[in-house]
Amino acid sequence: MTDLAETLASGAALLRSLQRRRSGVADARRAADAWAARHRDANARLVVDRRPGSPVVDYDLLLDHPDGGTIALSAPPEDGVPWLIDHSTHWAAGHLVSVDGVHVSVPQALTMLRSLSGRDASPYQEIVDQCLLAAAGDDGEPVGAADLQATADEFRRGRGLRDRASTLAWMAAAGMSGEQFEAYIEGIARRRRFRREKEAELAQGHLAAAPGDFARVRAVWVTGAEKVVAGDVAELFGALGSVGGPGSIGEPGAVGDVVVTVGVRWESDLPEALRGAPPGRVVGPEQAPGGGFLTGAVLSRTPAVADAETLEAAGRAAFACWLAERRAAATIEWHWS
Amino acid sequence: MIMSARGDGAAERVLAALRRRGAHLVGADEPAGGGTPVLWWDNGDYPGRSRVTATFTGGERRLVLDTGTLSVDLSRITAVWRSRPSGPQAAAAVTDPSHRAHAGLQAEVMLDGVWSLLDARWLPGRRADELRAHNKVFHLARAIELGFTVPDTTYTNDPAALADAYEAADGRLVAKQIASDRFQVDGVQHRAYTTVVTRRHLTSRHRVRHEPIVLQPYVPKAVELRVIVVGERVLAAEIDASGSRAARDDWRHYDNDRVRYAPHALPADVARRCARLVADVGLTYAALDFIVTPGGEYVFLELNSNGAWGFVELWAGLPVSDAIADWLMDELTDGRVNKLADERMDELTDGRVNKLADGGEQ
Repeated sequence: MTDLAETLASGAALLRSLQRRRSGVADARRAADAWAARHRDANARLVVDRRPGSPVVDYDLLLDHPDGGTIALSAPPEDGVPWLIDHSTHWAAGHLVSVDGVHVSVPQALTMLRSLSGRDASPYQEIVDQCLLAAAGDDGEPVGAADLQATADEFRRGRGLRDRASTLAWMAAAGMSGEQFEAYIEGIARRRRFRREKEAELAQGHLAAAPGDFARVRAVWVTGAEKVVAGDVAELFGALGSVGGPGSIGEPGAVGDVVVTVGVRWESDLPEALRGAPPGRVVGPEQAPGGGFLTGAVLSRTPAVADAETLEAAGRAAFACWLAERRAAATIEWHWS
Repeated sequence: MIMSARGDGAAERVLAALRRRGAHLVGADEPAGGGTPVLWWDNGDYPGRSRVTATFTGGERRLVLDTGTLSVDLSRITAVWRSRPSGPQAAAAVTDPSHRAHAGLQAEVMLDGVWSLLDARWLPGRRADELRAHNKVFHLARAIELGFTVPDTTYTNDPAALADAYEAADGRLVAKQIASDRFQVDGVQHRAYTTVVTRRHLTSRHRVRHEPIVLQPYVPKAVELRVIVVGERVLAAEIDASGSRAARDDWRHYDNDRVRYAPHALPADVARRCARLVADVGLTYAALDFIVTPGGEYVFLELNSNGAWGFVELWAGLPVSDAIADWLMDELTDGRVNKLADERMDELTDGRVNKLADGGEQ
């Protein structure tokens, strides 16, 4: 056997011995390096071809031909795996997450990121929520032109897209065609419609079940690093003038800053310490949720009435509960690998 | 009778359409004033939870289904829609796998026999009809005989054929499986989507001998079509996956934000041929897949004898559930479905994009 024939046969044997899995690549490289050390004239180099969406890898061995030029050697072994199965992909290849069997591709997830609310929830949770809403709202009913236009207008306002040119520029920057933009807006409009209808459906029942949450409460509270102590409401107001005295400069919004709030809130939106407190009684100082201390008092409380504003608030709260229940019950599978 | 697993969304949609036509679900919403009774039953309940009895005595036969809550004289059934039946399942108490398989086979044969005696219309067809029509080798041959344009196609497990087909297609070759089935790689579910064959794939040609594959030249596409045939009705949805890397070669990746679905107006002769093909292979329903080339040629790919249509209705707006309900109730004489499809198409193709970009608020 010539040297070249021997090198080729040996190289093929090497390739046939390598584990064709991503997890086996490091071992394969070590084996190839050892082989190359024994065949220095071939100037061998192992090339790894990682298939997208599959744990399977392919190997090639690049060798110098004695007369110049390169030999590329491939030697897939006979391992009894049928051709289509060997070239198949993971069922969720290209997907980021599956929620109740609805699969979200990576491009879809990136599109979703553009419309995340930024509310107090992780992007993961918002993507899951959007999936649940998309599935629930996918009723096949067409979105009306007015609804679509209102959604597009709101979307554009939210991004400062005041005219056609800036909207088209945004679409170009996002890599969206006109049709994709339309489909994107239609998806948002569909979710908005579903949310609106669901809130209206649930509002009355939620209000009836928890009327206390929707009492209108006028209250005052102060938060800061300093404990404010007061025996009654008059003392509390009196104390407000002297808190936050000379001290070191802090960052805007720092815990050390004193924040005084006087306003009307739904009972359920009050700081927890004030919820249900009788009017006129000073509460605190207590540990505030964001750090520091809270002292406050309820000034007055009006029981809930089923007016439009209250029903809207009850609808929003009911919807949040509904979504939380769906999220808790959903089968969520992330496909990170 | 709707024969389908509980929770089948397609069956729910058709049931709603049947109710709009005055039908009622047996055992659920009995009406005061009659109306067509609809039984929703899954053959997965048999023999585990349901009992089927066929008796031939004194020259008379009786075919009775007892679901545990209902007793149904099967001879009264006028139409059967096999939507997504689970297939016979032994009772949970039967635990030995070989006993379960035995019970399942006995049940399947029993049901096939009973169904053969019903004087009912079937959609898409009886189980054997569905299986035969679904076979790609069979229906492609019939499509060619009916004059459809089809890609040059090779079904083979000959390793030597792979490189031949690759070269014949000028290096633009796709490979598909003959029948979809579940399998795993390293213990994880994998799928064999339409594979665009590269030179790399040729290096493992020896694997082809282990199972047959389908080889076809890559057909350049303007759009793909899913054509739903219900009896004589033909509803076509176009699927434009050109904007999606994931779904470009196989729209079953369902990358919906980047794939456009819309109604499609089929040329009359193509529509007629679709209906004829479905009838010719012995079915009353099928989902046909086509590619429309940039030159406007309609290239037939395959026929799915109980192919999915939910996305055609949801995303392209075509009234498939109405068409199925009409067929089941034999009310296909008023042209209502085609009219609905035409109206929906007009609504969906009116160039709304510019208006959205211009803004309606200024």
